[in-house]
Amino acid sequence: MTLIECNALTKKYGNFTALSNLDLQIESGHIIGLLGPNGSGKTTLLKLITGLLQPSSGTISINGEPVGAASKSLISYLPDHTYLDRNMRVRDAMDFFEDFYQNFDSMRAYEMLAQLAINPNHKLKTLSKGTQEKVQLILVMSRRANLYILDEPIAGVDPAARDFILNTILSNYDENASILISTHLISDIENILDEVIFIQNGNLHTHASVDDLRQKEHKSIDTIFREVFKC
Amino acid sequence: MLRKLLKHEWKSVNKVLLPVNLCIILITIVGCTVLNTDIFDTEESWPIALFLLIFYVLSLMTFASITLIYIYVRFYKNLFTAEGYLMHTLPVTPIQLFHSKLIVGFSWSAFNCLLTLFSTAALGFSAIVTVAKEENIDHISRFFLDDPIVNNRNQTFSFSEMFGYPPATFLILILLLLLTGCLVSIIMGYLSILLGQLMEKHKLAASIGFFIVIYFFMQMVTSIAILLPNSNALVNAMDNDTSVYFMNIFYRNLFPASIISQIILSAAFYFASCLLVRRKVNLD
Repeated sequence: MTLIECNALTKKYGNFTALSNLDLQIESGHIIGLLGPNGSGKTTLLKLITGLLQPSSGTISINGEPVGAASKSLISYLPDHTYLDRNMRVRDAMDFFEDFYQNFDSMRAYEMLAQLAINPNHKLKTLSKGTQEKVQLILVMSRRANLYILDEPIAGVDPAARDFILNTILSNYDENASILISTHLISDIENILDEVIFIQNGNLHTHASVDDLRQKEHKSIDTIFREVFKC
Repeated sequence: MLRKLLKHEWKSVNKVLLPVNLCIILITIVGCTVLNTDIFDTEESWPIALFLLIFYVLSLMTFASITLIYIYVRFYKNLFTAEGYLMHTLPVTPIQLFHSKLIVGFSWSAFNCLLTLFSTAALGFSAIVTVAKEENIDHISRFFLDDPIVNNRNQTFSFSEMFGYPPATFLILILLLLLTGCLVSIIMGYLSILLGQLMEKHKLAASIGFFIVIYFFMQMVTSIAILLPNSNALVNAMDNDTSVYFMNIFYRNLFPASIISQIILSAAFYFASCLLVRRKVNLD
Protein backbone atom coordinates (compact mmCIF):
# COMPACT_ATOMS: atom_id res chain seq x y z
CA MET A 1 0.00 0.00 0.00
CA THR A 2 1.34 3.43 -0.97
CA LEU A 3 1.95 5.54 2.12
CA ILE A 4 3.60 8.61 0.61
CA GLU A 5 3.18 9.80 -2.95
CA CYS A 6 4.98 12.87 -4.27
CA ASN A 7 4.27 14.12 -7.78
CA ALA A 8 6.50 16.72 -9.48
CA LEU A 9 7.29 18.10 -6.02
CA THR A 10 9.25 21.34 -6.15
CA LYS A 11 10.34 23.67 -3.38
CA LYS A 12 12.07 26.98 -4.04
CA TYR A 13 13.53 29.47 -1.56
CA GLY A 14 13.67 32.65 -3.61
CA ASN A 15 15.87 31.80 -6.58
CA PHE A 16 17.31 28.66 -4.96
CA THR A 17 15.62 25.37 -5.85
CA ALA A 18 15.86 22.99 -2.88
CA LEU A 19 13.77 20.23 -4.49
CA SER A 20 13.09 19.90 -8.18
CA ASN A 21 10.25 17.90 -9.79
CA LEU A 22 10.54 15.01 -7.36
CA ASP A 23 8.40 11.95 -8.11
CA LEU A 24 8.44 9.43 -5.27
CA GLN A 25 6.34 6.61 -3.87
CA ILE A 26 6.95 5.01 -0.47
CA GLU A 27 5.15 1.83 0.51
CA SER A 28 4.07 0.67 3.99
CA GLY A 29 6.19 -1.67 6.08
CA HIS A 30 9.68 -0.57 5.09
CA ILE A 31 12.63 1.18 6.70
CA ILE A 32 13.91 3.67 4.18
CA GLY A 33 17.14 5.64 4.35
CA LEU A 34 16.94 9.12 2.89
CA LEU A 35 20.56 9.74 2.01
CA GLY A 36 22.40 12.67 0.59
CA PRO A 37 25.12 15.19 1.43
CA ASN A 38 24.41 18.36 3.38
CA GLY A 39 22.12 20.72 1.49
CA SER A 40 20.86 18.05 -0.89
CA GLY A 41 17.19 18.62 0.07
CA LYS A 42 16.61 15.82 2.60
CA THR A 43 15.25 18.01 5.39
CA THR A 44 13.19 20.05 2.91
CA LEU A 45 11.51 16.85 1.68
CA LEU A 46 10.75 15.72 5.25
CA LYS A 47 9.34 19.14 6.17
CA LEU A 48 7.12 19.09 3.09
CA ILE A 49 5.78 15.65 4.09
CA THR A 50 5.08 16.81 7.65
CA GLY A 51 3.42 20.04 6.50
CA LEU A 52 6.04 22.37 7.97
CA LEU A 53 6.75 23.70 4.48
CA GLN A 54 4.41 24.25 1.55
CA PRO A 55 5.50 23.09 -1.91
CA SER A 56 6.15 25.72 -4.58
CA SER A 57 4.51 23.28 -7.01
CA GLY A 58 3.57 19.61 -7.19
CA THR A 59 1.58 17.50 -4.73
CA ILE A 60 2.10 15.21 -1.75
CA SER A 61 -0.39 12.73 -0.36
CA ILE A 62 -0.19 10.63 2.78
CA ASN A 63 -2.35 7.50 2.68
CA GLY A 64 -4.15 9.08 -0.26
CA GLU A 65 -4.99 12.29 1.65
CA PRO A 66 -3.37 15.71 1.24
CA VAL A 67 -1.15 16.95 4.06
CA GLY A 68 -3.34 18.29 6.89
CA ALA A 69 -4.58 17.59 10.40
CA ALA A 70 -5.59 14.01 9.42
CA SER A 71 -2.21 13.14 7.87
CA LYS A 72 -0.41 14.61 10.89
CA SER A 73 -2.09 12.08 13.18
CA LEU A 74 -0.49 9.30 11.07
CA ILE A 75 3.05 10.71 11.16
CA SER A 76 5.45 10.68 14.09
CA TYR A 77 8.16 13.22 13.37
CA LEU A 78 11.56 13.68 14.98
CA PRO A 79 13.26 16.87 13.73
CA ASP A 80 17.03 17.37 13.72
CA HIS A 81 16.86 19.66 16.78
CA THR A 82 15.04 19.91 20.10
CA TYR A 83 11.46 21.09 19.64
CA LEU A 84 10.09 20.76 23.15
CA ASP A 85 9.57 23.71 25.49
CA ARG A 86 12.69 23.45 27.67
CA ASN A 87 10.78 24.71 30.70
CA MET A 88 8.61 21.57 30.59
CA ARG A 89 9.25 18.62 32.88
CA VAL A 90 9.72 15.27 31.13
CA ARG A 91 6.36 14.21 32.63
CA ASP A 92 4.65 17.29 31.09
CA ALA A 93 5.99 16.32 27.66
CA MET A 94 4.59 12.79 28.17
CA ASP A 95 1.19 14.25 29.14
CA PHE A 96 1.30 16.52 26.11
CA PHE A 97 1.85 13.60 23.70
CA GLU A 98 -0.74 11.46 25.47
CA ASP A 99 -3.34 14.22 25.11
CA PHE A 100 -2.80 14.89 21.44
CA TYR A 101 -1.98 11.46 20.05
CA GLN A 102 -4.45 8.64 20.61
CA ASN A 103 -1.76 6.20 19.48
CA PHE A 104 0.74 7.26 22.16
CA ASP A 105 1.70 4.38 24.47
CA SER A 106 2.64 6.15 27.71
CA MET A 107 3.41 2.92 29.56
CA ARG A 108 6.06 2.02 26.99
CA ALA A 109 7.43 5.56 27.13
CA TYR A 110 7.81 5.45 30.91
CA GLU A 111 9.48 2.01 30.64
CA MET A 112 12.05 3.43 28.25
CA LEU A 113 12.65 6.42 30.51
CA ALA A 114 13.25 4.04 33.42
CA GLN A 115 15.69 1.96 31.33
CA LEU A 116 17.72 5.10 30.72
CA ALA A 117 17.35 6.29 34.32
CA ILE A 118 15.73 9.55 33.20
CA ASN A 119 13.69 11.09 35.99
CA PRO A 120 10.27 12.19 34.62
CA ASN A 121 10.14 14.99 37.18
CA HIS A 122 13.26 16.68 35.85
CA LYS A 123 12.91 19.79 33.73
CA LEU A 124 14.14 19.37 30.16
CA LYS A 125 16.50 22.35 30.51
CA THR A 126 18.34 20.56 33.33
CA LEU A 127 19.10 17.56 31.07
CA SER A 128 22.10 17.30 28.75
CA LYS A 129 21.52 17.82 25.01
CA GLY A 130 21.99 14.08 24.41
CA THR A 131 19.44 13.18 27.10
CA GLN A 132 16.96 15.69 25.70
CA GLU A 133 17.35 14.04 22.29
CA LYS A 134 16.72 10.63 23.87
CA VAL A 135 13.55 11.92 25.57
CA GLN A 136 12.37 13.27 22.24
CA LEU A 137 13.12 9.97 20.50
CA ILE A 138 11.24 8.05 23.23
CA LEU A 139 8.21 10.32 22.71
CA VAL A 140 8.28 9.88 18.94
CA MET A 141 8.85 6.10 18.99
CA SER A 142 6.20 5.51 21.68
CA ARG A 143 3.49 6.37 19.19
CA ARG A 144 1.84 3.64 17.12
CA ALA A 145 2.11 5.72 13.96
CA ASN A 146 1.84 4.67 10.31
CA LEU A 147 4.94 6.62 9.37
CA TYR A 148 7.96 7.63 11.45
CA ILE A 149 10.04 10.44 10.02
CA LEU A 150 13.41 10.74 11.72
CA ASP A 151 15.65 13.60 10.64
CA GLU A 152 19.29 12.90 11.54
CA PRO A 153 18.41 10.86 14.68
CA ILE A 154 22.00 9.75 15.27
CA ALA A 155 23.94 12.85 14.32
CA GLY A 156 25.96 14.38 17.13
CA VAL A 157 25.51 11.60 19.69
CA ASP A 158 28.11 9.20 21.09
CA PRO A 159 28.34 5.57 19.79
CA ALA A 160 26.60 4.15 22.90
CA ALA A 161 23.70 6.54 22.41
CA ARG A 162 23.62 5.58 18.72
CA ASP A 163 23.13 1.93 19.69
CA PHE A 164 20.32 2.91 22.03
CA ILE A 165 18.64 5.01 19.36
CA LEU A 166 18.84 2.30 16.71
CA ASN A 167 17.60 -0.35 19.16
CA THR A 168 14.74 1.93 20.18
CA ILE A 169 13.76 2.47 16.55
CA LEU A 170 13.91 -1.23 15.69
CA SER A 171 12.15 -2.52 18.78
CA ASN A 172 9.33 0.02 18.83
CA TYR A 173 7.91 0.33 15.37
CA ASP A 174 4.93 -1.53 14.07
CA GLU A 175 5.79 -3.93 11.21
CA ASN A 176 3.08 -2.38 9.05
CA ALA A 177 4.49 1.09 9.58
CA SER A 178 7.30 2.69 7.62
CA ILE A 179 10.30 4.58 8.87
CA LEU A 180 11.95 7.27 6.81
CA ILE A 181 15.39 8.08 8.24
CA SER A 182 17.43 10.97 6.95
CA THR A 183 21.16 10.73 7.63
CA HIS A 184 24.62 10.94 6.17
CA LEU A 185 26.04 8.47 8.72
CA ILE A 186 25.23 5.53 6.49
CA SER A 187 27.51 2.83 7.89
CA ASP A 188 25.71 3.06 11.25
CA ILE A 189 22.25 2.42 9.86
CA GLU A 190 22.96 0.46 6.68
CA ASN A 191 22.08 -2.88 8.27
CA ILE A 192 18.59 -1.86 9.31
CA LEU A 193 17.50 -0.35 5.98
CA ASP A 194 15.19 -2.02 3.46
CA GLU A 195 15.38 0.72 0.87
CA VAL A 196 17.50 3.76 0.13
CA ILE A 197 16.70 7.05 -1.54
CA PHE A 198 19.66 9.11 -2.75
CA ILE A 199 18.98 12.80 -3.20
CA GLN A 200 21.45 15.02 -5.02
CA ASN A 201 21.02 18.78 -5.49
CA GLY A 202 17.27 18.50 -4.96
CA ASN A 203 16.84 15.72 -7.51
CA LEU A 204 16.06 12.04 -6.98
CA HIS A 205 19.24 10.14 -7.88
CA THR A 206 18.35 6.59 -6.79
CA HIS A 207 15.41 4.84 -5.14
CA ALA A 208 16.10 1.13 -4.76
CA SER A 209 16.01 -1.86 -2.45
CA VAL A 210 19.17 -2.15 -0.34
CA ASP A 211 19.60 -5.82 -1.23
CA ASP A 212 19.16 -5.19 -4.97
CA LEU A 213 21.62 -2.32 -4.90
CA ARG A 214 24.25 -4.31 -3.00
CA GLN A 215 23.88 -7.28 -5.36
CA LYS A 216 24.04 -5.12 -8.44
CA GLU A 217 27.04 -3.06 -7.38
CA HIS A 218 28.78 -5.66 -5.15
CA LYS A 219 29.48 -2.89 -2.68
CA SER A 220 28.08 -1.65 0.61
CA ILE A 221 25.59 1.23 0.56
CA ASP A 222 28.19 3.34 2.36
CA THR A 223 30.72 2.74 -0.45
CA ILE A 224 28.13 3.42 -3.16
CA PHE A 225 27.15 6.66 -1.37
CA ARG A 226 30.79 7.78 -1.21
CA GLU A 227 31.23 7.12 -4.93
CA VAL A 228 28.00 8.84 -5.95
CA PHE A 229 28.59 11.92 -3.82
CA LYS A 230 32.37 12.15 -4.26
CA CYS A 231 33.53 15.76 -3.98
CA MET B 1 -8.64 19.41 20.15
CA LEU B 2 -9.11 23.13 20.90
CA ARG B 3 -9.90 22.18 24.51
CA LYS B 4 -6.60 20.26 24.74
CA LEU B 5 -4.68 23.11 23.15
CA LEU B 6 -6.24 25.52 25.65
CA LYS B 7 -5.36 23.25 28.57
CA HIS B 8 -1.67 23.10 27.64
CA GLU B 9 -1.53 26.77 26.68
CA TRP B 10 -2.96 27.75 30.08
CA LYS B 11 -0.49 25.51 31.84
CA SER B 12 2.53 27.02 30.07
CA VAL B 13 1.43 30.66 30.24
CA ASN B 14 0.33 30.45 33.88
CA LYS B 15 3.88 29.55 34.93
CA VAL B 16 5.05 33.04 33.92
CA LEU B 17 2.00 35.29 34.17
CA LEU B 18 0.58 34.02 37.45
CA PRO B 19 3.61 35.23 39.52
CA VAL B 20 3.70 38.52 37.58
CA ASN B 21 0.05 39.26 38.32
CA LEU B 22 0.30 38.06 41.91
CA CYS B 23 2.87 40.83 42.36
CA ILE B 24 0.10 43.37 41.53
CA ILE B 25 -2.05 41.93 44.32
CA LEU B 26 0.93 42.04 46.65
CA ILE B 27 1.79 45.71 46.01
CA THR B 28 -1.91 46.60 46.30
CA ILE B 29 -2.15 44.97 49.74
CA VAL B 30 1.10 46.67 50.85
CA GLY B 31 -0.10 50.02 49.42
CA CYS B 32 -3.50 49.86 51.16
CA THR B 33 -1.87 48.85 54.45
CA VAL B 34 0.62 51.72 54.28
CA LEU B 35 -2.15 54.24 53.41
CA ASN B 36 -4.15 53.15 56.45
CA THR B 37 -1.32 54.04 58.82
CA ASP B 38 -0.31 57.54 59.99
CA ILE B 39 3.08 57.39 58.21
CA PHE B 40 2.20 60.22 55.82
CA ASP B 41 0.59 62.54 58.37
CA THR B 42 3.66 64.78 58.58
CA GLU B 43 4.86 67.04 55.77
CA GLU B 44 8.40 65.58 56.04
CA SER B 45 7.14 62.20 54.84
CA TRP B 46 5.58 63.58 51.63
CA PRO B 47 8.72 63.07 49.47
CA ILE B 48 8.69 59.40 50.49
CA ALA B 49 4.97 59.22 49.66
CA LEU B 50 5.68 60.73 46.23
CA PHE B 51 8.51 58.25 45.66
CA LEU B 52 6.25 55.32 46.64
CA LEU B 53 3.49 56.61 44.38
CA ILE B 54 5.89 56.80 41.40
CA PHE B 55 7.22 53.33 42.27
CA TYR B 56 3.64 52.00 42.37
CA VAL B 57 2.67 53.50 39.01
CA LEU B 58 5.90 52.29 37.36
CA SER B 59 5.35 48.81 38.82
CA LEU B 60 1.84 48.62 37.36
CA MET B 61 3.15 49.76 33.97
CA THR B 62 5.97 47.21 34.13
CA PHE B 63 3.64 44.33 35.02
CA ALA B 64 1.22 45.31 32.25
CA SER B 65 4.10 45.50 29.74
CA ILE B 66 5.54 42.14 30.85
CA THR B 67 2.11 40.53 30.47
CA LEU B 68 1.55 41.90 26.96
CA ILE B 69 5.11 41.32 25.71
CA TYR B 70 5.16 37.77 27.09
CA ILE B 71 1.87 36.98 25.26
CA TYR B 72 3.42 38.22 21.99
CA VAL B 73 6.71 36.38 22.58
CA ARG B 74 4.87 33.18 23.48
CA PHE B 75 2.86 33.35 20.22
CA TYR B 76 6.01 33.88 18.15
CA LYS B 77 8.24 31.39 19.98
CA ASN B 78 5.67 28.61 20.24
CA LEU B 79 4.55 28.79 16.61
CA PHE B 80 7.45 30.13 14.57
CA THR B 81 10.69 28.93 16.18
CA ALA B 82 11.90 25.40 17.11
CA GLU B 83 8.75 24.77 19.19
CA GLY B 84 6.71 25.37 16.02
CA TYR B 85 8.01 22.01 14.72
CA LEU B 86 5.98 20.33 17.46
CA MET B 87 2.93 22.62 17.36
CA HIS B 88 2.53 22.50 13.57
CA THR B 89 2.85 18.71 13.43
CA LEU B 90 0.03 18.18 15.96
CA PRO B 91 -3.20 16.79 14.49
CA VAL B 92 -4.93 20.17 14.79
CA THR B 93 -5.86 22.86 12.29
CA PRO B 94 -3.87 26.12 12.13
CA ILE B 95 -7.01 28.07 13.09
CA GLN B 96 -7.37 25.99 16.28
CA LEU B 97 -3.77 26.85 17.16
CA PHE B 98 -4.50 30.54 16.57
CA HIS B 99 -7.72 30.48 18.62
CA SER B 100 -6.03 28.77 21.57
CA LYS B 101 -3.37 31.50 21.66
CA LEU B 102 -5.96 34.24 21.21
CA ILE B 103 -8.28 33.01 23.98
CA VAL B 104 -5.49 32.51 26.52
CA GLY B 105 -3.68 35.72 25.52
CA PHE B 106 -6.85 37.82 25.74
CA SER B 107 -7.91 36.23 29.05
CA TRP B 108 -4.56 37.01 30.67
CA SER B 109 -4.40 40.51 29.22
CA ALA B 110 -7.98 41.24 30.38
CA PHE B 111 -7.21 39.80 33.83
CA ASN B 112 -4.13 42.01 34.07
CA CYS B 113 -6.14 45.12 33.08
CA LEU B 114 -8.94 44.35 35.56
CA LEU B 115 -6.40 43.69 38.29
CA THR B 116 -4.68 47.00 37.55
CA LEU B 117 -8.04 48.79 37.66
CA PHE B 118 -8.93 47.04 40.91
CA SER B 119 -5.53 47.91 42.38
CA THR B 120 -5.81 51.63 41.57
CA ALA B 121 -9.43 51.68 42.81
CA ALA B 122 -8.42 49.96 46.07
CA LEU B 123 -5.55 52.38 46.65
CA GLY B 124 -7.74 55.34 45.69
CA PHE B 125 -10.43 54.18 48.10
CA SER B 126 -7.85 53.75 50.88
CA ALA B 127 -6.49 57.25 50.20
CA ILE B 128 -10.02 58.74 50.26
CA VAL B 129 -10.81 57.01 53.55
CA THR B 130 -7.55 58.32 55.01
CA VAL B 131 -8.18 61.89 53.79
CA ALA B 132 -11.82 61.73 54.86
CA LYS B 133 -10.74 61.19 58.44
CA GLU B 134 -9.97 64.86 58.45
CA GLU B 135 -12.47 66.17 55.91
CA ASN B 136 -16.05 65.38 55.04
CA ILE B 137 -16.54 61.75 54.02
CA ASP B 138 -20.22 62.43 53.40
CA HIS B 139 -19.29 64.93 50.67
CA ILE B 140 -17.28 62.29 48.73
CA SER B 141 -19.72 59.43 49.18
CA ARG B 142 -22.63 61.64 48.00
CA PHE B 143 -20.65 62.42 44.83
CA PHE B 144 -20.25 58.69 44.07
CA LEU B 145 -23.97 58.18 44.78
CA ASP B 146 -24.64 60.75 42.02
CA ASP B 147 -26.03 63.38 44.42
CA PRO B 148 -25.24 67.04 43.56
CA ILE B 149 -22.31 68.57 45.47
CA VAL B 150 -20.83 72.07 45.54
CA ASN B 151 -17.16 72.68 44.63
CA ASN B 152 -14.85 75.44 45.91
CA ARG B 153 -15.99 77.76 43.04
CA ASN B 154 -19.56 77.41 44.32
CA GLN B 155 -20.61 75.32 41.28
CA THR B 156 -23.17 72.59 41.90
CA PHE B 157 -22.77 69.37 39.96
CA SER B 158 -23.28 65.63 40.26
CA PHE B 159 -21.17 62.68 39.01
CA SER B 160 -23.46 62.35 35.95
CA GLU B 161 -23.09 66.04 35.11
CA MET B 162 -19.33 65.82 35.40
CA PHE B 163 -18.65 62.51 33.63
CA GLY B 164 -21.70 62.27 31.37
CA TYR B 165 -22.94 58.99 32.88
CA PRO B 166 -24.16 57.72 36.28
CA PRO B 167 -21.36 56.02 38.30
CA ALA B 168 -22.45 52.43 37.52
CA THR B 169 -22.70 53.09 33.75
CA PHE B 170 -19.36 54.91 33.88
CA LEU B 171 -17.74 51.87 35.50
CA ILE B 172 -19.27 49.47 32.95
CA LEU B 173 -18.02 51.68 30.10
CA ILE B 174 -14.51 51.79 31.58
CA LEU B 175 -14.54 47.99 31.79
CA LEU B 176 -15.76 47.70 28.20
CA LEU B 177 -13.09 50.16 27.05
CA LEU B 178 -10.39 48.15 28.83
CA LEU B 179 -11.59 44.80 27.49
CA THR B 180 -11.87 46.01 23.88
CA GLY B 181 -8.45 47.66 24.32
CA CYS B 182 -6.97 44.35 25.47
CA LEU B 183 -8.57 42.50 22.56
CA VAL B 184 -7.33 44.90 19.91
CA SER B 185 -3.80 44.94 21.43
CA ILE B 186 -3.52 41.15 21.43
CA ILE B 187 -4.83 40.67 17.89
CA MET B 188 -2.70 43.56 16.62
CA GLY B 189 0.43 41.85 18.02
CA TYR B 190 -0.51 38.48 16.54
CA LEU B 191 -1.33 40.07 13.16
CA SER B 192 2.08 41.82 13.11
CA ILE B 193 3.85 38.51 13.79
CA LEU B 194 1.83 36.74 11.09
CA LEU B 195 2.60 39.52 8.60
CA GLY B 196 6.30 39.24 9.49
CA GLN B 197 6.18 35.57 8.51
CA LEU B 198 5.35 36.58 4.95
CA MET B 199 8.88 37.97 4.54
CA GLU B 200 11.65 35.78 3.14
CA LYS B 201 14.24 37.07 5.64
CA HIS B 202 14.40 39.07 8.91
CA LYS B 203 10.93 37.92 9.91
CA LEU B 204 11.17 39.11 13.51
CA ALA B 205 12.39 42.59 12.53
CA ALA B 206 9.61 42.74 9.93
CA SER B 207 7.05 41.81 12.61
CA ILE B 208 8.24 44.67 14.83
CA GLY B 209 8.05 47.02 11.82
CA PHE B 210 4.49 45.89 11.04
CA PHE B 211 3.55 46.37 14.71
CA ILE B 212 4.74 49.99 14.66
CA VAL B 213 2.91 50.73 11.40
CA ILE B 214 -0.35 49.09 12.58
CA TYR B 215 -0.08 50.84 15.97
CA PHE B 216 0.13 54.27 14.34
CA PHE B 217 -2.69 53.37 11.96
CA MET B 218 -4.82 52.27 14.90
CA GLN B 219 -4.09 55.47 16.86
CA MET B 220 -4.99 57.54 13.84
CA VAL B 221 -8.29 55.72 13.25
CA THR B 222 -9.25 55.89 16.95
CA SER B 223 -8.39 59.60 17.19
CA ILE B 224 -10.42 60.40 14.09
CA ALA B 225 -13.33 58.28 15.35
CA ILE B 226 -13.33 60.18 18.65
CA LEU B 227 -12.62 63.72 17.51
CA LEU B 228 -14.16 64.15 14.07
CA PRO B 229 -17.87 63.48 14.77
CA ASN B 230 -17.71 65.44 18.02
CA SER B 231 -15.44 68.34 17.11
CA ASN B 232 -18.23 70.96 17.19
CA ALA B 233 -19.52 69.78 20.55
CA LEU B 234 -15.99 69.81 22.00
CA VAL B 235 -15.22 73.31 20.65
CA ASN B 236 -18.51 74.58 22.10
CA ALA B 237 -17.67 72.91 25.39
CA MET B 238 -14.22 74.57 25.48
CA ASP B 239 -15.87 77.96 24.84
CA ASN B 240 -18.21 77.31 27.74
CA ASP B 241 -17.01 78.68 31.03
CA THR B 242 -17.38 75.53 33.10
CA SER B 243 -14.75 72.78 32.98
CA VAL B 244 -17.43 70.42 34.27
CA TYR B 245 -19.44 70.87 31.08
CA PHE B 246 -16.33 70.15 28.93
CA MET B 247 -15.59 66.93 30.84
CA ASN B 248 -19.21 65.86 30.46
CA ILE B 249 -19.09 66.30 26.66
CA PHE B 250 -15.63 64.73 26.45
CA TYR B 251 -16.49 61.55 28.35
CA ARG B 252 -19.91 61.18 26.76
CA ASN B 253 -18.24 61.13 23.33
CA LEU B 254 -15.03 59.34 24.25
CA PHE B 255 -16.49 56.08 25.48
CA PRO B 256 -18.86 55.07 22.65
CA ALA B 257 -16.47 56.24 19.90
CA SER B 258 -13.44 54.46 21.45
CA ILE B 259 -15.29 51.24 22.20
CA ILE B 260 -16.90 51.02 18.76
CA SER B 261 -13.66 51.85 16.91
CA GLN B 262 -11.76 49.24 18.98
CA ILE B 263 -14.40 46.58 18.23
CA ILE B 264 -14.26 47.37 14.49
CA LEU B 265 -10.45 47.28 14.48
CA SER B 266 -10.42 44.01 16.46
CA ALA B 267 -12.78 42.42 13.93
CA ALA B 268 -10.69 43.67 10.98
CA PHE B 269 -7.41 42.45 12.57
CA TYR B 270 -9.03 39.11 13.49
CA PHE B 271 -10.23 38.39 9.94
CA ALA B 272 -6.85 39.43 8.48
CA SER B 273 -5.10 37.11 10.98
CA CYS B 274 -7.42 34.20 10.12
CA LEU B 275 -6.64 34.67 6.42
CA LEU B 276 -2.89 34.60 7.15
CA VAL B 277 -3.17 31.60 9.48
CA ARG B 278 -5.07 29.62 6.83
CA ARG B 279 -2.32 30.42 4.34
CA LYS B 280 -0.34 27.47 5.76
CA VAL B 281 2.97 27.69 7.56
CA ASN B 282 6.49 27.74 6.10
CA LEU B 283 9.01 27.03 8.85
CA ASP B 284 12.41 27.61 7.22
